[in-house]
Amino acid sequence: MTGGLVQILEGNTFVVSDDRGDIEASAVDPTGLFSFDTRFLSRWVLTVNGERLTALSTDDLQYFQARFFLVPGISTVYVNATMTVIRQREVADGFHEELRVLNHDARPVDLAIRIDAGSDFADLFEVKDALKKRGTYETRATGGNLVLSYRRETYVRETWIGSSEPAEVDENGLMYTVTIPPHGEWSTVLDVVASAGPAEILPGGHPGTAGRRRVRRNMARGLEKWLERAPDLRCDWEPLEQIYRRCLTDLAALRFSTMTMPGRSLPAAGLPWFMTIFGRDSIFTSLQALPFTSELAATTLRALAERQGTRIDDFRDEDPGRILHEMRYGELTAFEERPHSPYYGSADATALFVILLDEYERWTGDHRLVRDLEQPARAALCWIDKYADLQDNGYVSYQRRDTTTGLENQCWKDSWDSISYRNGDLPGFPRATCELQGYAYDAKVRAARLARLVWRDDALADQLEREAAGLKRRFNRDFWVQDGEYFAVALDADGRQVDSLTSNNGHLLWSGIVDKSKARAVARHLLGPRLFSGWGVRTLAESEARYNPIGYHTGAVWPFDNSFIAWGLRRYGFKEEAARIVAGVLEAAEIFAGRLPEAFGGYPRDLTRYPVEYPTACSPQAWSTGAPLLLLRVALGLEPEGEHLLVDPAMPKRIGHLELLDLPGRWKQIDAFGRGRIDTEREDSRASKPSRRGGPSRHGAAASRSRGSGASG
Amino acid sequence: MVTTVESFFANLCEIGHVATFERESATIRFDIKEPAEREQAHNADKVERWYVTVADGRVNMTRQDRPADAIVHVSRPDFEAMATGRLNAQAAFLRGLLTVEGKVAALVMFQRCLPGPPGSTGRVAPISSKTVTAQRRDT
Repeated sequence: MTGGLVQILEGNTFVVSDDRGDIEASAVDPTGLFSFDTRFLSRWVLTVNGERLTALSTDDLQYFQARFFLVPGISTVYVNATMTVIRQREVADGFHEELRVLNHDARPVDLAIRIDAGSDFADLFEVKDALKKRGTYETRATGGNLVLSYRRETYVRETWIGSSEPAEVDENGLMYTVTIPPHGEWSTVLDVVASAGPAEILPGGHPGTAGRRRVRRNMARGLEKWLERAPDLRCDWEPLEQIYRRCLTDLAALRFSTMTMPGRSLPAAGLPWFMTIFGRDSIFTSLQALPFTSELAATTLRALAERQGTRIDDFRDEDPGRILHEMRYGELTAFEERPHSPYYGSADATALFVILLDEYERWTGDHRLVRDLEQPARAALCWIDKYADLQDNGYVSYQRRDTTTGLENQCWKDSWDSISYRNGDLPGFPRATCELQGYAYDAKVRAARLARLVWRDDALADQLEREAAGLKRRFNRDFWVQDGEYFAVALDADGRQVDSLTSNNGHLLWSGIVDKSKARAVARHLLGPRLFSGWGVRTLAESEARYNPIGYHTGAVWPFDNSFIAWGLRRYGFKEEAARIVAGVLEAAEIFAGRLPEAFGGYPRDLTRYPVEYPTACSPQAWSTGAPLLLLRVALGLEPEGEHLLVDPAMPKRIGHLELLDLPGRWKQIDAFGRGRIDTEREDSRASKPSRRGGPSRHGAAASRSRGSGASG
Repeated sequence: MVTTVESFFANLCEIGHVATFERESATIRFDIKEPAEREQAHNADKVERWYVTVADGRVNMTRQDRPADAIVHVSRPDFEAMATGRLNAQAAFLRGLLTVEGKVAALVMFQRCLPGPPGSTGRVAPISSKTVTAQRRDT
């Protein structure tokens, strides 16, 4: 729920209404029934005897189901309310609504119950930008159904509205004239179907309610199964159990099936406006969730490979081998007024695709998928060298080719001012941001492993390792800011350092591109006062000209960012530093009742005491949902090693005893245990020595249960 | 440049092995229809049927009837527009210019062998820091 709005969804169909269940969208108001990026209902208003209703209570029963308890009238005092109206709504390929009216009076009542219905068939992009429609509208009242229709050339979208009780149907809605006996009840079932193309080509025409009920039952069972299959978490610190459960439920809601792979799900980027494939977001979320479920990763990899770029297309920023950025299905995309069919303007997704493929194999041992995706992986590696090296200097960089619709910043910090020099100036294009080089390095190292292990191509493996070593050497020379002892956020078009201090340094640790001799200085910065707020690492350091604690990518703290930074710190042995980030972000999650926002303010923790939420339209956001999952992995030090899972806990004291039971993977199932021993509340901004004590304990079988020794720094 | 349906399919078969189709197998039937006006003037309901078979990366084409994983209905001008990069297949699908019966995945696979728009070069002129900073100060 955001700002009094109720949202329920399934796949990429969702309903946003007010707390009465009504929809009254204006051109720019984001309420309605949406499916495949198109608004199919912009008006859905219930009245009883001409009067609007008031909500007594609203329940989000499941992510796909809501119930509204209403009384007639809009007064704030419920005097003489002798009637209750209950709307229960479930999303499927449209929605299904049971409307019940209860008469509590000793006398019968005569009622005129009316639902006003209408649609503007707006593209989601039009809702954001308030654009004018070019097609024509038509409304048909036929056979007790109301059909709303929009047509532009061959593009047709229709909304079918049907009712189980006979209704008088006119162009603006449905009307019921009923008498309810004393203490009696009247009810009807309304079905709304969103249809791409003329509705009559739907199999079966008008939707049968029995089929709908089956869909609903499957959804409920699907959620139960999803939760059942997930590893069990037990913990002394109760909020963590709540956070974990919230993450799993939200992740379930964020599951999205593509048209080509029905029944298999990947994580969409965010609810409700980003219920689609985003290369970067789907990959990062799949990585975060891998210790808990590998299904999301497998589907993400297949779906992205299916749509991998194969040609040069300047409008879509497509190149051979490039992994897509964003896929959309609305009218503007259909008419090529927007490039999202799909759009490829992401400079990191291609390397991240290879990284996910390798990480997936480490957890699952699924060689079949790695073999199936050999060509896409090779094409991705080729893109890095051939198409992403825009300046012929051996670095991945980006520059949009369509200045009207293309994305200016094609890295995860994608707002216009995210990449700046210390003095606030903006670099030119192409831009080679540092984390892209880290991802490219890691992709090569990991692909070399897959080439040896699965593709049986030692020559490729040798070549990739040579290239990776060369890249690492050059990177540590060219990006290192000598006087600041950190890595520049980017190289500009002249090869000059874009010298601001940013959280990107943490992603560099994660990628492994950082020379060991430089790692300590980087860790010290990440946990130092300029970057670390107490809750997490800021996107941009306090000392830089564009720093703003509520700047999206210029000071705010992103839970997703921090989860990868913590992973990076662990990779270089900085257990205590990682634990401090784990503690900060999980404590923020506790305050947000388990659901982390996309970002929160970069204010120092002792100033605000509570993290200040950054206002965004989407909640939950996939990679924020995945952040606590990755932080659990980091805290327990989970690392697949051959057929084993290493467990090497280094956890904040506050967590106490933690058990994760039945972690799935190539080892079938394994339990992991840890005890929090690190005092993260201790004021210490200096980075400690990488810990070498308390070596990893090896869990070869589910039977071997020992408490991992938490490293005390 | 006009690429006809015939020459497009002939080219595809000449290439024989398409890397992006490796480990993929599917048969797609294309029902290519003459545009409405011409149809009335000459040949009512004239539909050309082409079968493209992909077997682990190898591409073959035939006009002989066989079972297909997907049937794509499209007009001749729209197909030709796709075959020359002037129309994006996914956009055409969303717009209702082409319809698919059966496995949509087969169409998604097939579109990977379509060319990019004419005139796309993959390169643009660099922009200096001065220009970017100045632009942002103006707005």
